[in-house]
Amino acid sequence: MIRDQLPTSQVRYVGREVTRIEDPGLVAGSTQFIDNLALPGMLHCAILRSPHPHARIIRVNANPALALDGVVAVLTPEDVRRLANPALTAPAGWGTHCLATDKVRFVGEPVAAVAATSRHIAEDALELIEVEYEPLPPVATAAEALADGAPLLFEQHGSNVIQARVYDWGEVDRVFAEADQVVRSSFRWNRVGANPTETFGCICQWDLADNSLSCYGSYQVPSFWGLARSISLNLPANKVRVISQPMGGAFGGKGGARATDIAALLSRKAGGRPVKYIEDRMEYLLAGFGQSWDRHYEAALALTADGTMTGLRVKLIDDQGATAEGYGTISVAKPLAAFTGNYRIEAARYDTTLVVTNRAPTAPYRGYGPPPHFLVLESLVDLAARQLGVDPAELRRRNYIGKEQFPYTIPSGNEYDSGDYAAVLDKALALAEYPALRRRQAEARTAGRLVGISVVSTVEPGVFDWNAYATVGVQGVGVPEGVRVVVDILGNVTVVVGFNLQGQGQYTIAAQVVADFFGLELGAVRVTTAPTDLAPPHFGQGGSRLGVAVSSAVLGACRKLEADFRRVTAHLLGVPLDEIELMDGRFRMKSRPDAGMSLAEVAGLMLGRSDLLPPGMEPNPQASCVWTAPGRNAPDDQGRCRSYLTAANATHVVMVEIDRDTGHTEILKYVVVDDCGTRLNPAMVDGQIQGAIAQGVGAALYEEYVYDGQANPLVTTFVDYLMPTIHEVPRTERDFVVTPSPTTAFGAKGCGEGALHTTPAAVICAVNDALAPLGVALTETPASPQRVWRLLRQAGLG
Amino acid sequence: MTTRQRTTITVNGTRYEREVEPRLSLADFLRHELHLGGTHVGCEHGVCGVCTVLIDGCSARSCLTLAVQADGAEVTTVEGLRDRESGRLHPIQQAFIDAHGLQCGFCTPGFLMTTLELLRDNPEPSDDEIREALGGNLCRCTGYQSIVESVRLAASRLRG
Repeated sequence: MIRDQLPTSQVRYVGREVTRIEDPGLVAGSTQFIDNLALPGMLHCAILRSPHPHARIIRVNANPALALDGVVAVLTPEDVRRLANPALTAPAGWGTHCLATDKVRFVGEPVAAVAATSRHIAEDALELIEVEYEPLPPVATAAEALADGAPLLFEQHGSNVIQARVYDWGEVDRVFAEADQVVRSSFRWNRVGANPTETFGCICQWDLADNSLSCYGSYQVPSFWGLARSISLNLPANKVRVISQPMGGAFGGKGGARATDIAALLSRKAGGRPVKYIEDRMEYLLAGFGQSWDRHYEAALALTADGTMTGLRVKLIDDQGATAEGYGTISVAKPLAAFTGNYRIEAARYDTTLVVTNRAPTAPYRGYGPPPHFLVLESLVDLAARQLGVDPAELRRRNYIGKEQFPYTIPSGNEYDSGDYAAVLDKALALAEYPALRRRQAEARTAGRLVGISVVSTVEPGVFDWNAYATVGVQGVGVPEGVRVVVDILGNVTVVVGFNLQGQGQYTIAAQVVADFFGLELGAVRVTTAPTDLAPPHFGQGGSRLGVAVSSAVLGACRKLEADFRRVTAHLLGVPLDEIELMDGRFRMKSRPDAGMSLAEVAGLMLGRSDLLPPGMEPNPQASCVWTAPGRNAPDDQGRCRSYLTAANATHVVMVEIDRDTGHTEILKYVVVDDCGTRLNPAMVDGQIQGAIAQGVGAALYEEYVYDGQANPLVTTFVDYLMPTIHEVPRTERDFVVTPSPTTAFGAKGCGEGALHTTPAAVICAVNDALAPLGVALTETPASPQRVWRLLRQAGLG
Repeated sequence: MTTRQRTTITVNGTRYEREVEPRLSLADFLRHELHLGGTHVGCEHGVCGVCTVLIDGCSARSCLTLAVQADGAEVTTVEGLRDRESGRLHPIQQAFIDAHGLQCGFCTPGFLMTTLELLRDNPEPSDDEIREALGGNLCRCTGYQSIVESVRLAASRLRG
């Protein structure tokens, strides 16, 4: 598949494990992350944040701060009411201004801000700002939000419910009525989040003469944030320029809508001086873009006596936090893209209620919704296996979509492109030596040890499309991703993209394609990020799409260049166009391969000898290509559409042991087999998998944003929010299967979110397998020692 | 807070003398006074290890160290790893590239400095010793396995 696409006799880079072109600057410490950037005359911003979960703002007096030496500007609720608009949300109407204007809705919500000559002075100045609050009763949980007479966060809506929708796909009631076996459980998924090691940061400069805004920063999706700023700050979109800097990780949780607006307005008030804001970790943990998936589930799986899964019902109450500004709503919609996982389940119901509470707003996080959903589905499958007395691997195998059934449309509407789930399972079971593993478990149990094994399979929807989120009010079909491939007069090639580094290695992917296409050394290809006003239309990283999108776009641009360069060569050699082909970097005659021109010769000619060009030809050795996933369509009234282009899949086999005395869970064995089609750079795919496993282990065992009964956050540092260290992340054994995608250029599938879909389910299912003989089950994440210990006590142990 | 204190710190072999506020952290001193931006800041409360530098040869959190505390000390940062003349990467840096020991690279300088100390003291560490040494550095991207492989590769190359 790779060979078909590339005019080369030997593929050197695409599909190979090449080192990344991003890395030299990163290991040297010279990559320019946002806090390494300084502009002349730059001021520093600090933000005063609410100590209350819910309170009316009576008065804000920032004048004392202005009197402090070094303070240049302050921003108050009065300013933003005058100068800015509330954030757009989907569904509409659940956003607020960048500073709280009438009341605060969560601890950490910005109330005022200062720009000063140093960050120290700016923070000193915050202590001088006087804010008078009238505390209001908080809404601490989703249940409280839904209670009769609950305090309202947005009085104008008359309710704390953002959206309540039930989706019915197929004859759900019939299959449940006819089922021989129905397994049910409730689940509680507590908040986790992205926590990249670099927090959000930006520098904003408002040009008062031109009335335009430049925003430098760690922007994951630069044009999206640029457009949002034009709306929130009343600027024409072409007067907002976003310059995305390399990011120290993002994982969805890198957003700075409020902080960007605050820094921009401070710049405006400071006469146009640039204003830098760097979020600190406490601010990130309190109120950054780092909290996701606060969920209460009730779910049921229907089966026939022979173990055929027939129906799935999932009722979800989702606590979105104080506003919908972080697009956490999308995480409720995305499971539609893979609702029934790897299985042939004919009917499904999804009953969703999205509420606001006085917790921090929720945001995207790697996976964007399906990881908790798959915890629910896979836990139900294990429950069914236990009740039917069938091995959990066997029950899954019986219900897998067969490899001959692709393309396969699931009840919730998405079409899976390809897969061979049984092959993945077989490989995983073999690698894990599954029968021996079960024997080890039996021996351990006999010895009184609490050892559990899971075999969990999931699908990773890859290459998102906006249509997947129509159900929560997001508009549009298609997510354009553009590149420009430029050849200079000496034949050097530069790829211009609209996104910046984030860790996945997409610069390298782009360079791999160009290098193989034009027969260049990988290191000779330069990839660079353009500001939003100069870049082709783009989105950036998100929804496991950029590897596929950028490789497709680069390939498209290379083909356009190839066509022009062939034309020049044919004209110069005086032969028909179809006599010229590109092979191994030379535009040559098919009948006389030694006669031809190099890339540099053609480019040099185009730019330096217009007299020799074909009549009417532009001297323009560059080409753009803007790619979007083919075949996407508008959703029907039940949200059904072809949304995500690819469907990767994985099976994880995990063995854990629970300490009987402390409730601590240790991972004894971790096996992963995945299939994401063609691996464009196998080492980078490996890195995505292992990295996502680390985050999955965190979500399953350690990480949790804890709130008290008054909606006060109890997690404000990494001492409280437990990020997995090198000691907690298992050494995994990995292998893979390749079922190329028939829908993408090289057969690659989206794989960036990957194992986070599978790991939480796999770890929790293994924990429950360990607990099963005791007659207790864990239905809440994470499986912290305390939570597991309580169950052990309940079972008479611990 | 405005009383400044004369502070002399040698960083990567160069002696710097500055008047600094007592509250200035060593990390901010390196980054914003000396413009050595390779030392990153991840949490500013001493957990993540992103800001790790060597102070008189010992790994330390530059976010929890005040610049004035480092008065008279020799500090080594990631900028000190490369060969100054040729610009060639240190074998530890090259090993992290070759074994894919980084993704976003933000935590990497901290890992490199910790590894420098480890391999100086223990040129042939076991995997467990590598893990023990790196236990104070958080990485959110890689899942650590490739970092262990990078350190192993660096160790074998440094042993020659």
